[in-house]
Amino acid sequence: MNRVDLIIVGAGPSGLSAAIEASRRGLEVIVFDENEKPGGQLFKQIHKFFGSKEHRAKVRGFNIGKQLLEEADEAGVRVILNATVIGLYQDKEVVVRIGDEVVHYKADAVIIATGAAENMVTFPGWTLPGVIGAGAAQTMMNLHGIKPGKRVLMLGSGNVGLVVSFQLLQSGCEVVALVDAAPRVGGYGVHAAKVARTGVPFYLSHTIVEAEGEDHVTAVTIAEVDERFQFVPGSEKRFEVDTICLAVGLSPMSQLLKMAGAEMEDNPKRGGQVPICDNHGRTSLPGIFVAGDVSGIEEASSAMIEGRMAGIAAAEYLGYTDAETMQSDLEQLENALDGLRQGMFAPKNRGKLIEKTEEGIDISLNLLEKGYVSDDEIERYPGVTHRKGVHPVIECTQNIPCNPCQDACPKKCISIGKDITSLPIVVDDCDCINCGMCVASCSGQAIFLVDEDCGDGTATVTLPYEFLPLPEEGAVGNALGRDGQVVCKAEVVSVKTAKAFDKTYLLTMRVPKEYAMKARFFKS
Amino acid sequence: MDNRITEHPILGIQEKGEPVEFTFDGKPVKGYEGEPIAAALKAEGVMVHRYTQKEHKPRGIFCAIGRCTDCVMVVDGVPNIRTCITPLKRGMDVRTQYGVSDRKFEEQ
Repeated sequence: MNRVDLIIVGAGPSGLSAAIEASRRGLEVIVFDENEKPGGQLFKQIHKFFGSKEHRAKVRGFNIGKQLLEEADEAGVRVILNATVIGLYQDKEVVVRIGDEVVHYKADAVIIATGAAENMVTFPGWTLPGVIGAGAAQTMMNLHGIKPGKRVLMLGSGNVGLVVSFQLLQSGCEVVALVDAAPRVGGYGVHAAKVARTGVPFYLSHTIVEAEGEDHVTAVTIAEVDERFQFVPGSEKRFEVDTICLAVGLSPMSQLLKMAGAEMEDNPKRGGQVPICDNHGRTSLPGIFVAGDVSGIEEASSAMIEGRMAGIAAAEYLGYTDAETMQSDLEQLENALDGLRQGMFAPKNRGKLIEKTEEGIDISLNLLEKGYVSDDEIERYPGVTHRKGVHPVIECTQNIPCNPCQDACPKKCISIGKDITSLPIVVDDCDCINCGMCVASCSGQAIFLVDEDCGDGTATVTLPYEFLPLPEEGAVGNALGRDGQVVCKAEVVSVKTAKAFDKTYLLTMRVPKEYAMKARFFKS
Repeated sequence: MDNRITEHPILGIQEKGEPVEFTFDGKPVKGYEGEPIAAALKAEGVMVHRYTQKEHKPRGIFCAIGRCTDCVMVVDGVPNIRTCITPLKRGMDVRTQYGVSDRKFEEQ
């Protein structure tokens, strides 16, 4: 029997964060992970994260992963990979399968940070090769450099469905449709909008009827569903595809806790069977803690904070820190976590239909039903203003916890205020110098720099661009609207890059001036 | 096949191991050492990894993280190898799995 102070199950964002805090406080920690590499799902996240500075906002997920691994290394965290924990027994006995061997460990405290598994839906043909989880698509393209398919249909409009659809486009795949049985887009509006403007059609209140194919998927039929989720006859639409991606939610992998006898609950707001725990991850079993998605589905940013909290709480449980120090250490983390849990997508608002922003502005119905804000709706938001010369147009229309744009502008033209979820505004005396920092800093790709009237009947629009091949200066193509439809011809004026933009290119296109507030994407 | 992403706008050109040869159902194919067997097969356009024991239905990559076991194949004579998390090595003998065998059902 091997003994340590603390065993952590799972080397993802929460498990590593917990290990770092516990190791720093002097505990001997071992982290087990069943995968070949640590980091969990962080290394598949290639988009810029939301939040504020303290949450490492506007840093891409995989870069946050690298920072976390470095931090764990410095703290002396020991991670054992290819090690599957298969049992958690009385007196914190942990049974691990490492290779072909089954090894017994015993700890004085255990943190379960096993994360979540993808949900699935069934339909005729769902077992055909070519029907894959959205996570599988991410793994193939972002870890292994393999295209999951050529023509893909995405089922699910939550953040996973939206983000993975965008990643598929970035990998050079075609996304023929984004489908969800729900009547409204589930994920962040800005994630939907950046997919919709490239021309991907959204089908809300639709789901898959069947997948066709002998040995692999060759086509898929979707149909509209009524409010009781029954198919509406005659509404079928068929797409020839080689891949169907399923992004229909996540379930906590809480089996070890159930096995150990922790008190569990079925909580739909947390994603299913979860252990009952306090704010710092203490379960009903003394010395057994949880952190991250296993105790409720959220995001990597919150999982990392929860991990740190559980690591500190475990240190206190074993006497490596006193209650008073713990309390002050936790306070800062509590505030950071609280910041992320605000806004209309906060866990407490899950399932609620929110019709107005915190500012009292009507939410765009088009955004919820079609994935984009319509031309007549966009003018109502405070970031969308009209001025002479180049100025930012901020198409941020929902209250989400994110504020990098405010710090990005060297001229302080953008303001969010102290409430991190407020909609950004363009200040009255905006003195924009066209530097593009705001465009590149917006994790939602919702900021554009627009010169509505260049004096010669044209306007210029600068947009964030993260696709290859890059259009060349002088190239002529189509400007697409927010809905992904062609609005006019456009000429590429410039394509800029800078280290500070972190791989987001700034594409400036010239369009007839009447399209200045309509043209939002370039397609050659 | 053109299933490999040659250059990615965010990730650039991905680092790969040594190019190696292995066999799929006896035919020589190419891949990169250390990448999952399933990735190398996907790059070659292989969709079917196995046929189910009872109904002989095709299965391929589904979760790609070693959880669902849909992608298991016979590797170097051993059945039920999860190809999505098993690193490719030079000269591996990878075969379609029929039930739990690499012999087609009519030959079992």
